[in-house]
Amino acid sequence: MDKSMLADLDSLPEADKQRMTVMIDQLQIRDSLRMYNSLVERCFNDCVDTFKHKSLQKQEETCVRRCAEKFLKHSMRVGMRFAELNQGAATQD
Amino acid sequence: MASNISPAAFDKEQIFGMAEKEMEYRVELFNKMTQTCFKKCVDNRYKESELNMGENSCIDRCVSKYWHVTNLVGQLLGSGRSPM
Repeated sequence: MDKSMLADLDSLPEADKQRMTVMIDQLQIRDSLRMYNSLVERCFNDCVDTFKHKSLQKQEETCVRRCAEKFLKHSMRVGMRFAELNQGAATQD
Repeated sequence: MASNISPAAFDKEQIFGMAEKEMEYRVELFNKMTQTCFKKCVDNRYKESELNMGENSCIDRCVSKYWHVTNLVGQLLGSGRSPM
C-alpha cells in the first residue's frame, strides 16, 4: 500500500476517515497474507525437489532463505519503479 | 431499502465503493507485476540473496513494459474493439 492514499484522508470528516482507514487496513492484511502464501509456494517449488527426508535439508533451507530475501528486495525495487510510473516520470530504456 | 437512504448518503456509499475497488485494483496490479517480473527476471537457482546487476536492469525494464502493456490493453478494451 502506498502512503499517498493515507495523505488524502486528512481532508475527510472523522467518521469517513475512520471508515477509509479500516478499509485500507483490511486490504493491507489481505495483501500481506496473500504475499506470504504465494512466496511460500514459489520458494518451495524452486527449492524442494527430493523427499528422501521429511526435514528440510541444509541446502534447501539456504535456497529458501535466498529465494525469500531476493523476492523481498525485488518487491521493494518494483515498488519504487511503480511509484515513479504512477507519478508520470519519464524513464530511460 | 433504497427509500431509506438519502441522496447524499447514497452518493457517499457509491464513492466509498469506487474507492475500495480502485484500491483493490491497484494492489492486484502491483502484485501481478511483481510476480510476473520476478518469474521473468530472477534466476531461480538462488546462488546469492542479493539481486545482481542483470536482474536489477531486467526488473526495471520489466516493470516499465508491464505498465505499457497494461495501458495499451486498457486502451484497446476501452475503444470498444472486440478482443478478437
